[in-house]
Amino acid sequence: METIVTNRAAGLGVTWWSNAAQLVRNRYFWLVVPATVTLLLAFAWPVLGFLLKAFTDPFNGLHNFNEVFSNFIYGAVLWNTVVISFVTTFLSLLLGYPLAYTIAQASPRVRRLLIFAVLVPFWTSILVRTFAWMVLLQPSGLINDILIGLGLLLEPLDMLFNRTGLLIGMVQIQLPLMVFPLYTVMSKIDKQYVSAAANLGASPVTAFRRVYLPLSMPGVFTGSMLVFVTCLGYFITPALLGGHRDVVVAQLIHEQVTELGSWGIPAVLAIILLLSTLFIFGIVRLFQRREKKL
Amino acid sequence: MSDNKNKFDTDPQLNSDEAGASCVAPVQLSRRKFLGATAAVGAGAMLMPFGSSFAASNKGTVVYLSWGGFYQESQKKAWCDPFEKESGVRVVQAGPMNEAKVRTSVASGSPEFDIADATDIFLYYGSADNLFEPIDYSVVNRNTLPPQFTHDYGVGNCVWSYNVCYNTDKFSEGTGPQTWTDIFDTKRFPGKRILRDRVYGMLEVALLADGVAPADLYPLDVERAFRKLDTIKDDLILWKSASQAQQLMVDGVASCGLLHNGRIFDAVKKGGHLAIGWEQNVQSVDYHVVLKGAPNKANAMALIERSIQPDAQAAFANMTGYAPVNQAAFEFIDADVAPWLPTEPSNIEKGFVLNADYWRENLKELADEWTKWKLS
Repeated sequence: METIVTNRAAGLGVTWWSNAAQLVRNRYFWLVVPATVTLLLAFAWPVLGFLLKAFTDPFNGLHNFNEVFSNFIYGAVLWNTVVISFVTTFLSLLLGYPLAYTIAQASPRVRRLLIFAVLVPFWTSILVRTFAWMVLLQPSGLINDILIGLGLLLEPLDMLFNRTGLLIGMVQIQLPLMVFPLYTVMSKIDKQYVSAAANLGASPVTAFRRVYLPLSMPGVFTGSMLVFVTCLGYFITPALLGGHRDVVVAQLIHEQVTELGSWGIPAVLAIILLLSTLFIFGIVRLFQRREKKL
Repeated sequence: MSDNKNKFDTDPQLNSDEAGASCVAPVQLSRRKFLGATAAVGAGAMLMPFGSSFAASNKGTVVYLSWGGFYQESQKKAWCDPFEKESGVRVVQAGPMNEAKVRTSVASGSPEFDIADATDIFLYYGSADNLFEPIDYSVVNRNTLPPQFTHDYGVGNCVWSYNVCYNTDKFSEGTGPQTWTDIFDTKRFPGKRILRDRVYGMLEVALLADGVAPADLYPLDVERAFRKLDTIKDDLILWKSASQAQQLMVDGVASCGLLHNGRIFDAVKKGGHLAIGWEQNVQSVDYHVVLKGAPNKANAMALIERSIQPDAQAAFANMTGYAPVNQAAFEFIDADVAPWLPTEPSNIEKGFVLNADYWRENLKELADEWTKWKLS
């Protein structure tokens, strides 16, 4: 095990150096420098300064970590965040996969139309979309009015300021992030593979399950990762559509910094979010590598 | 309701504001007009830095940090603009205010803001944490204000209150909830109710609803407050921003609840079907503070002194429904606005003031309890 790790590290080192050397020789290299330097100075440096506060605010030590790991509320809020992110990702995949499949199979004209239909909400401000959901979901809102008008309901459904409303809003906002990677991968899948499987006697379901689905998996991974990671840091939609129980990490960070003037605990929470994100990237990379080998 | 609206329309301050707002409305511009306008803006832009640097070299500037929106716009009109005109000091508006901005700015050693509009709780927190300059009472005349509005590190600029509010489409005028006890009575007053998603103030409201007299509130019986809050938990919407709360009330998503008096004033002025109750209104004061190491300290003190003049105080009250700290301002306040002000004598009598000392001691711990209660 150890030797594998060291070999790997050495291998990584070699590729890193040779990549870097190659990069500097590239005549376009210097074009990247201004953006990189700006990003480091204006983004990476302050973020690092903020994260360091986990160890220094209000005094030096690991007390902030101790507080986060021993106080029940932080665990509960982290759990909330993970559950909401996971369910949102799952529902987005459930809705996004057939949608992306339809777009990939459609005639060019229908395809343009469908892509446009996915893009328009994507371009609309998240705040506007969240407020729009508040209007649609409220007890006397459009959805309840229609359902009651059709005689399908007697009492309005309670869809706002609870987990239901929150998930509806989250999924609608995240769906494009799921559909685009899926569509990109699906549009590159050669349809002849599926035909070939059918010619060899596979039923449509088997052909889909054994040929199409595995080929579309990179899109599933990328889309799920994008959605999940974005959800982890989400703030506006849970704050506006969720109920009192739906507190997520970003809300807690915001409250601690702006209302309590406390930086240490938010920094710990930010570190946890950052590590979770890196961890998820790692897992997805691992799967993708295995996919490539297969 | 339209009566009310018309009444407010006679207020020149409000009219001037509406005129300002209409400029933003989309207007069909002819090409010539458009070119003319851009030319004017261009010329203005060219002259502006010249003019301001000229002013800066003479009298300097002062940076004013506040909460944005209609509130800050009214502060600008009520005291920043007159101060600028009279003193030649340029007032730069910055915002929206939040405590993290003040803290980081002071920590940097050379704050980018001079004056901030602070809540009373932040005034206490901030002065304990050494974030503010002591007020120069040789410039600010404290004798014009009641003593409760002048502190070593802050001078009051307005009084606001949390009030009982209900939607008059849900309960006809006069029959809606009048007290916090009514707000917590879901049988007599059905429908969703709103409270603010903050611990301070809300625990007091719950205890008042449970029959505790204002004089007996502190130290708070936290457990009893949360038990009372439990009784309306399923019918409760907690608001994150005042504009969101205003919308929830006007749309009728909530039938009643707690809202800033100025927000109810603003909604009614715009034709919203809301009614305000003054019984047990929860009063609070916003303060002007000067940031530690502020580069334009002297100008900041002078602007604070200008802000407490009766005319400035009255202008702000007429625009927002938030009350003056200077009693002399009442002379200039519109007769229709006066009943909306927390410091109107009968409203003061019905109201009470949050104990900022108690919250300085207990805010962090109780903020955790609040989150815990929400999650459970």
